[in-house]
Amino acid sequence: MDSSDDDFYSGEAMDDDYDYYNSDDAEDNDDYEFIEEDPDEDIDNLTSRRQQQSYTVLKEDDICQRQEDDITRVSTVLSISRVDASILLRHYNWCVSKVHDAWFADEDGVRKSVGLLEKPLVQFPNAKELTCGICFESYARDEVLSAVCGHPFCSACWRGYISATVNDGPGCLTLRCPDPSCRAAIGQDMIDKLASGEDKAKYCRYLIRSYVEDNRKTKWCPAPGCEYAVDFAAGSGNFDVWCLCSYSFCWNCTEEAHRPVDCGTVSKWILKNCAESENMNWILANSKPCPKCKRPIEKNQGCMHMTCSPPCKFEFCWLCLGAWSDHGERTGGFYACNRYETAKQQGDYDEAERRREMAKNSLEKYTHYYERWASNQSSRQKALADLHQMQTVHLEKLSDIQCTPESQLKFIIEAWLQIVECRRVLKWTYAYGYYLPEHELAKKQFFEYLQGEAESGLERLHQCAEKELQQFLTDESPSKEFNDFRTKLAGLTSVTKNYFENLVRALENGLADVDSHAACSKTTSSKHAGGASKGKSGRGKGSSRTGGSHDTGR
Amino acid sequence: MQASRARLFKEYKEVQREKSADPDIQLVCDDSNIFKWTALIKGPSETPFEGGVFQLAFAVPEQYPLQPPQVRFLTKIFHPNVHFKTGEICLDILKNAWSPAWTLQSVCRAIIALMAHPEPDSPLNCDSGNLLRSGDTRGYQSMARMYTRLAAMPKKG
Ligand SMILES: [Zn+2]
Ligand SMILES: [Zn+2]
Ligand SMILES: [Zn+2]
Ligand SMILES: [Zn+2]
Ligand SMILES: [Zn+2]
Ligand SMILES: [Zn+2]
Repeated sequence: MDSSDDDFYSGEAMDDDYDYYNSDDAEDNDDYEFIEEDPDEDIDNLTSRRQQQSYTVLKEDDICQRQEDDITRVSTVLSISRVDASILLRHYNWCVSKVHDAWFADEDGVRKSVGLLEKPLVQFPNAKELTCGICFESYARDEVLSAVCGHPFCSACWRGYISATVNDGPGCLTLRCPDPSCRAAIGQDMIDKLASGEDKAKYCRYLIRSYVEDNRKTKWCPAPGCEYAVDFAAGSGNFDVWCLCSYSFCWNCTEEAHRPVDCGTVSKWILKNCAESENMNWILANSKPCPKCKRPIEKNQGCMHMTCSPPCKFEFCWLCLGAWSDHGERTGGFYACNRYETAKQQGDYDEAERRREMAKNSLEKYTHYYERWASNQSSRQKALADLHQMQTVHLEKLSDIQCTPESQLKFIIEAWLQIVECRRVLKWTYAYGYYLPEHELAKKQFFEYLQGEAESGLERLHQCAEKELQQFLTDESPSKEFNDFRTKLAGLTSVTKNYFENLVRALENGLADVDSHAACSKTTSSKHAGGASKGKSGRGKGSSRTGGSHDTGR
Repeated sequence: MQASRARLFKEYKEVQREKSADPDIQLVCDDSNIFKWTALIKGPSETPFEGGVFQLAFAVPEQYPLQPPQVRFLTKIFHPNVHFKTGEICLDILKNAWSPAWTLQSVCRAIIALMAHPEPDSPLNCDSGNLLRSGDTRGYQSMARMYTRLAAMPKKG
């Protein structure tokens, strides 16, 4: 083992009781706060712990319950029937306070516009027979039905009318009396009385959908097939939400979660990707020629550390195609694969040449960021699949082989969760980087430094979780090294988490701390190193970490 | 199908009984198909359509009266909400504002009202709509009157 490994796990991180989640800087970032450990905790809980209280994921039952509660409140406060309360709430987009305000300001006006009548418009006190207003047949009094307005229709025509409207779409929620001169609202009581079972179900579906879609506070989870909704309380600057289906998305723009990058940057970036998609197809191809032997190498792993097949066995970086061994040294001592350097423009270009060069550069620049964005995206997908595989198959197997209870293998799940989350953040920082103004040199350097730190940490963590774990899965008997592996992976998880927290915080700050860059990197590095014993700071520390440490445990 | 036929038959009998109830509308059922009707309507007075007689064609769907009938002008008419070539009519009650309590007779009445009160903001005939929207009422009226004379009036002489 390389001595440099000490750098990224030490102190409390080594303790078997995992209290590294309580490390001192956890309190200023509730987002990732893992409060206390519970041995029976499953992944759902881990995921839900990431949630702030600013939103709630609603299952269908919860949605119905809230809807019922709102209806009850309005019906109690206004002393009207639940059917009328439901009609009113739908009209005011399910906002209870708006209903109350409007009602108490002008009850008559509200009744009129919504179509809630207090007494009949037409009455036939002495008629034995009434003519249905749709089929024009005569019926005995007790064979016709009316809403409050009193316009008579036979039940066959009511059924036809309701069925036609329900099958025409959500407009059935604002159903009115069939008489064209009448605006009386038709509520759920009439639907219940007259619609077929199938139509009733459709109506209820529309009612629930309306509660989520017309309500300003709720949205459906955009994941395909997911039927949960998210209720979001305004006031938090962070819009990322984690649905119970495990999909995370931005509540504000409903793109996938993109913290710390703002919605505007994300939508610009997505548009750009659409416009450039033809030029970029080659990037999405999953194979590249080995930089040494030129045979095509397929990327089927999540981390960027590639190893060519025997006999070549060349180890290189998927992103920059440089040798992995000099990945740190070549780049001046720290991880710099994330950096984009504009080609030097010198000499006497004529105008046409200069333009061509600029066009080439701008495509090159975009390609650089897009490739990294896309690679992290696919890396995240791979990590998600691996996490799933781990939970469903490998964990149990590993538990048997290493004679360790599954509850003590949680650190592996936590590592994978961290990888998935970091790949997401890292991916979006490349969209951020693309739009970072070229002339803000100090900011750009600060950003690339933080991003590089985070990325190199993540590569180690991903490699450790992905590759180093393999040997323990194939062991015949419990391995003595397994405990070291636990310490290393848990430590890497903690360190990477810290790097990413720094990155997220800095980006959300608009890189405002650029001036205190040096001071900042000093404090943070001593923090995740777990104490002053690893007193090296900034880049010096980075170099000792990066050089050659990748082969650890192989 | 049976319900729509029964309903149309009611309307048919009503038309026969009250032939002169509305002198501006003359509804005629096709000899062999109760789902096909034509109507002759008189252009409303004090409009450029005054003095003209316009023919409408009705195609009634099987879901009638839950679904509205399809109506179009057979007589050429210069009106913002009527397609100049096909005679198609843009009128809310023939689309989403339809009510099954409407009848063919009341549709005719609504079309006469539309002739008197065009809606230039949802035009099917852009030339006509633009004239009205630009405030050129005289231009609109003279065009409309010309077409009424050409297409909707019995040839003199
Ligand atoms: Zn009826
Ligand atoms: Zn009514
Ligand atoms: Zn979901
Ligand atoms: Zn967003
Ligand atoms: Zn090779
Ligand atoms: Zn690289």
